[in-house]
Amino acid sequence: MASMEKRLQKELLALTKDPPAGVKVDSQRICTNLSEWTVDLEGAPESIYEGEKFQLMFKFGSRYPFESPQVMFIGEHIPVHPHVYSNGHICLSILTYDWSPALSAQSVCLSVVSMLSSCKEKKRPPDNAFYVKTCSKNPKKTRWWYHVLLNKVERNSVNMYEEERPCDMK
Amino acid sequence: MGNCFKTPSTDDISLLRGHDNQDGAEQALGPPPPYQERVPVYHPSPNVSRLANQLSEEEQIKIAKRLGLISHLPVGVYDGSSKKGKECVICMNEFILGESLRFLPCMHTYHRDCIDDWLMRSFTCPSCMEPVDAALLSTYETN
Ligand SMILES: [Zn+2]
Ligand SMILES: [Zn+2]
Repeated sequence: MASMEKRLQKELLALTKDPPAGVKVDSQRICTNLSEWTVDLEGAPESIYEGEKFQLMFKFGSRYPFESPQVMFIGEHIPVHPHVYSNGHICLSILTYDWSPALSAQSVCLSVVSMLSSCKEKKRPPDNAFYVKTCSKNPKKTRWWYHVLLNKVERNSVNMYEEERPCDMK
Repeated sequence: MGNCFKTPSTDDISLLRGHDNQDGAEQALGPPPPYQERVPVYHPSPNVSRLANQLSEEEQIKIAKRLGLISHLPVGVYDGSSKKGKECVICMNEFILGESLRFLPCMHTYHRDCIDDWLMRSFTCPSCMEPVDAALLSTYETN
């Protein structure tokens, strides 16, 4: 537990000092509770989200970095994106099956930024309405079937995780 | 095979072999594992946590096999001479003289406690994602 706190402090420092483009952390606001961060994102210039402002929430459990953080969009403004549900849940493989302790809050921010920047068309995932009605509050509990276009197709996870329905019904 | 396995230096190979023996000796002579009041928690698959007494037979076998494989991976003590990584990417701390390290076949190095905890969940290198068992096998073949 102590080692986790040290790592989180280092990560916070790195992200505050040297954030990826379009990412902003207010470390002042975070230091009271290191296990929950709010990160500001701004749509990259020349992307379809240019100038739009979003907020990401990170929750680090006691098993971080052995388990991925819980990451989702929060607030009024949730990006309209084929991998982002209107409740803020993100379908991104490194947040579950492809997580590795060598990744960090910074690499998650980078992935989310590049997911937004590379998007060509603003639309919700095809099963958004159903998912939002039925999913768990914690996106990590979803048994995601990754949308093949953006993410690597995951390996054995379908047999291993029985908790909930996939986000893609096909 | 992963990229980081393509260019092992002779230095690293001798390091691996040297520590292989040491590991066996250490395990035979070492003190018995400390008494644990709490039931240990195992992770038969990533994101699945179960108390030791709640594991299915299949999961117990899987964990026993995994423990056996991990014990084949060379260990050593940080002596300050490593030219490669000086930091453990899992806890993000620099290695300190005398700390116990584990060397993976892909040549990535971590604190022993940090990497063992991860290997029980996923038998891959956190840095290069190389499956450790595949790399172990190819190490044996080239020996
Ligand atoms: Zn470490
Ligand atoms: Zn590696």
